[in-house]
Amino acid sequence: MAKVKFPRRSQLVLGLTLVVASTYVVLPLASATEFSLRQPAKKNYGLDNFSWFMGDPDFVKYLLISLGLAAYSALILLVVLVPTTVWLNLSGSRFRRMVEFLSLLPLVVPVVALAIGAQTSLPEFAQTDETVLAYMFAVLALPYAYRTLDTGLRSIPLGTLIEAARSLGAGWVRAILRAVIPAIRGTVLNALFMTLALSLGEFTLTSLLHWDTFTTWVTTMSQSNILGAIALSMFSLYAVFALLLAIGFAVRQPKFHENSEEE
Amino acid sequence: MPKTSSSLSRGSAPLWSAATRKALVALIALAPLLIFIGIFFLAPIGAVVIDSFRNNDGDFSLVNFSDIFKEPIRTAMVTSLSLASVSALTAAIPGGILAYLIESRGSQKLRRIVASISGVLANTGGVPLAFMFIAAMGAEGSATGLLKLAGIDIYGSGFSLYSFWGLVVVYSYFQIPMMVIVFSPAVHGLRREWAEAAMTLGASKRQFWTRVGFPLLFPSFLSATLLLFASAFSAYATARAMTNGTIPLVPTMIGNLLDGNVIFDEVNLAKALAVSMVVVTLVAMVPYLIIQRKSERWQK
Repeated sequence: MAKVKFPRRSQLVLGLTLVVASTYVVLPLASATEFSLRQPAKKNYGLDNFSWFMGDPDFVKYLLISLGLAAYSALILLVVLVPTTVWLNLSGSRFRRMVEFLSLLPLVVPVVALAIGAQTSLPEFAQTDETVLAYMFAVLALPYAYRTLDTGLRSIPLGTLIEAARSLGAGWVRAILRAVIPAIRGTVLNALFMTLALSLGEFTLTSLLHWDTFTTWVTTMSQSNILGAIALSMFSLYAVFALLLAIGFAVRQPKFHENSEEE
Repeated sequence: MPKTSSSLSRGSAPLWSAATRKALVALIALAPLLIFIGIFFLAPIGAVVIDSFRNNDGDFSLVNFSDIFKEPIRTAMVTSLSLASVSALTAAIPGGILAYLIESRGSQKLRRIVASISGVLANTGGVPLAFMFIAAMGAEGSATGLLKLAGIDIYGSGFSLYSFWGLVVVYSYFQIPMMVIVFSPAVHGLRREWAEAAMTLGASKRQFWTRVGFPLLFPSFLSATLLLFASAFSAYATARAMTNGTIPLVPTMIGNLLDGNVIFDEVNLAKALAVSMVVVTLVAMVPYLIIQRKSERWQK
């Protein structure tokens, strides 16, 4: 009886740890949020600092640029990775090791180093168009996305799925789009999620290559109005949180994938 | 791309020999990824490496690398290395404990929530992160105030957010979640059956940990710490937002060299610095990748 009523000691330790961890996470967020709501002139709290940056025409402009680049880089990664990883998993090719090695390489190289290289080696036309950033973001996300997709593909009966789809008359493209991707929906989503999070917050490459996105705009604005800048920073954080959580909840993982993950 | 590969592999007429066809399919399937990595990763890195061995006249030379051992770069290198080591260790321990407690005692729901939140937090950085910590732990910050009420005056004891230790505190905000992400799979793979098997064979709890649990988890812990080292060593956005040049660090120094805040002909020096950063991260990441690969065998 007593066992049911009182939490076990191990649960108590976990609970306490979670309280400490959440305080550590929330306190800086809450403090900055409090600052962002201050209205020193009126001596009260309100949304003045938020209307300060929202009234700026650049606000929507850079927001759209960042969202567009993030979506584009996620798309690039999926287009480049899905066919290749599916093929590698199906064929048991000896190139698998090589592709895995190449995909993990960006982890080893500091972004600063990649930025200098991009400045030197990318062709002129690529340097005059900001979509080049989407490709570079995709490179940064490649190690995570590759790992996630590969793990996902290993956990499903890939050969059977494709055989089934093809014996029902589907071509390769259709088999991948309609049978494989739905089966690894959770994994694909995870890869997308990481790519979006990384792209939306990317600062190093963007600023060193002298482009302007929402992140660098926040940095520029932070030099003019301190409370407004805090409000803008908080907005960018919460917007990314909300977006990513929404994506996370939007698609539920299919059942058999969850089970195979739990084995 | 897959369109082409489909017509090839399905082709009923044996246009080419089986071996040629197989090689062609491989080429077509791999081409998009290889071209992508080639243009946007290998070519830039190759260019940096080649240029780092050139002096300002474009001739082969090691002058850039010998400059690294001179001031002020030497100090920046030493500071960056110590910051990365301290940040990795101070984040790995709480992060590791957190990952262990959540994986071994938490519900599946809790584990998923923690994983999503960690994913978001591990990506915070730059100006927003700097503001959060200024608001909390700056001289007028809320945490500073709370601690003062509790009788601890952190600024009185010489702490500053804009110092080496301040950076360690700020970095931990993305380093600890990163540790949770990287270390959790290892704890998850440590199966309950193994503890039970050890106990059935008469092992005490302590014996299980010294003979089974710890030896299995330690390599993963070490490799995760190495990853944190590399992450702190290469952090640029947060370093720039927090220090503004007050603490000499390699990434911000490269940034300044690139932004043209210094004499133009030092661009190749920036490249040599970048190459030396790559060497440092390689030294940390290669063991990480090897250990990860080995421990994946028993984690599955």
